[in-house]
Amino acid sequence: MLFTSEYSMKMGIGEALLTAVIGIATVLMILAIIALLIMLVSKIIRSIEAKTAKLADTGAPASPTAAPPAAVPLPDTESQGELVLENVDEPTAAVIMAIVSNKSGIPLNRLCFKSIKLLEDDKK
Amino acid sequence: MEMIKNVLVGLWEASGINALFAGGVFQWRNLVMILVACVLLYFAIAKKCEPLLLVPIAFGILLANLPGAGLMDDPTGLMDTSNVVAGAHWYETGVLRLIYAGVKSSVFPCLIFLGVGAMTDFGPLLSNPVSLLLGAAAQLGIYVAFIIAILMGFTPQEAASIAIIGGADGPTAIFVASKLAAELLGPIAIAAYSYMALIPFIQPPIMKLLTTEKERKVEMKQLRKVSKTEKIVFPVVVLLICAFILPSVAPLLGMLMLGNLFRECGVVERLSDTAQNALMNIVTIMLGLTVGATANGQNFLQIKTLMIVALGLLAFCFSTAGGVLLGKLLYVITKGKVNPLIGAAGVSAVPMAARVAQTEGRKYNPTNFLLMHAMGPNVAGVIGSAVAAGFLLAMFK
Repeated sequence: MLFTSEYSMKMGIGEALLTAVIGIATVLMILAIIALLIMLVSKIIRSIEAKTAKLADTGAPASPTAAPPAAVPLPDTESQGELVLENVDEPTAAVIMAIVSNKSGIPLNRLCFKSIKLLEDDKK
Repeated sequence: MEMIKNVLVGLWEASGINALFAGGVFQWRNLVMILVACVLLYFAIAKKCEPLLLVPIAFGILLANLPGAGLMDDPTGLMDTSNVVAGAHWYETGVLRLIYAGVKSSVFPCLIFLGVGAMTDFGPLLSNPVSLLLGAAAQLGIYVAFIIAILMGFTPQEAASIAIIGGADGPTAIFVASKLAAELLGPIAIAAYSYMALIPFIQPPIMKLLTTEKERKVEMKQLRKVSKTEKIVFPVVVLLICAFILPSVAPLLGMLMLGNLFRECGVVERLSDTAQNALMNIVTIMLGLTVGATANGQNFLQIKTLMIVALGLLAFCFSTAGGVLLGKLLYVITKGKVNPLIGAAGVSAVPMAARVAQTEGRKYNPTNFLLMHAMGPNVAGVIGSAVAAGFLLAMFK
């Protein structure tokens, strides 16, 4: 408690301004710290998950006795596996996958895209 | 004959009509408040303005202003020592006054936050953490309203309670007001919820005024997918940071993050479901009813109430402006990758403010889809207003 009851009756404009400035600075500072920590934690978690996925990918052929993946059908709008995008944005990749599925007549959930890569840059 | 006369006199003396003229003074204020309650009920039912909140609040106003009903009586001075009756027992306390203990003790606002946490997807915020800054900037109105309230002669405690309306978060406003200026709780809660319902009318002119057409047309990049682990870690990290810096924020944020952990951890489906539905509905009824019941005509119809309503509107406007202005700054820094309209969603009021950003964005670019981008600042606003509340409590409690 910084402002006691005897103080509570009056507060000068200078003190009010100072309180307001410190207040908004505190909110900004705390939320900025949270933002930074989210970025940091996300980065750590994603790198751990990527490593785990990589290990799982390389480990799979080495264990022929491993059980086959569960036969849970994917939704029609989703393809199988992890897709790596190189210089291609997600909407463009989605359009490409939809076109391939449409032209080949194979449902998207039965297709497995490994990567989509932009080979030529328009600027060149 | 004498007995019949006594019965009739007794009935008259116990009637509400007689209570309307208690002490020889016509209690017109109660009648005005009954009229206000009917108008609010009309808006809630016929116009569907925030009916889940407005119906219980309006009915609470109606109940508290029934002459002679005594639903908010406090003869033992449990919460209000102004009308203590000697020899009274606690069970003679009015039924709404007893329920009001949940507001006074901050149990209801905290439980509402538990439900809000269980209903909130922090994914958009996690995929774009810069949204948090927009949520912080959109608390500007709180501090502007605080300064103006001080200039208008309110005590710092009252000014802080009124200013928190700018956080556009009903439970937070109730939480702060019940601790700092309980006598102003009725007008503050009603102003906060009314302005939240009026967001689609308050925000667009400010958004239009502060942005150019080019800025409003900006299409934002698709958000990345957030993993389950990130969503589980988030509530714990946020709570630890906030509570270590500002322990006074722990009751609100703690419950918000507990609710969110219920939702994201995936092993307590039943608890998450209860927090989102049954508990949320029960607490909303009790909170709405008792907050409405604090609006007794005798203490509600004052010039102070009008000042609070005006300051609340001012706080809302400045909060919207704060978010949009930081959005403009981010637009410049990112070379046009951020649409400043999403900054307005930083005023909390989930998900209405985000919907307003989406609607306004589509007005200028029909192919634009800003909703998920606006949800980031929107949920950041919930955290921001809770932190602002914690700051004010740390200063003035």
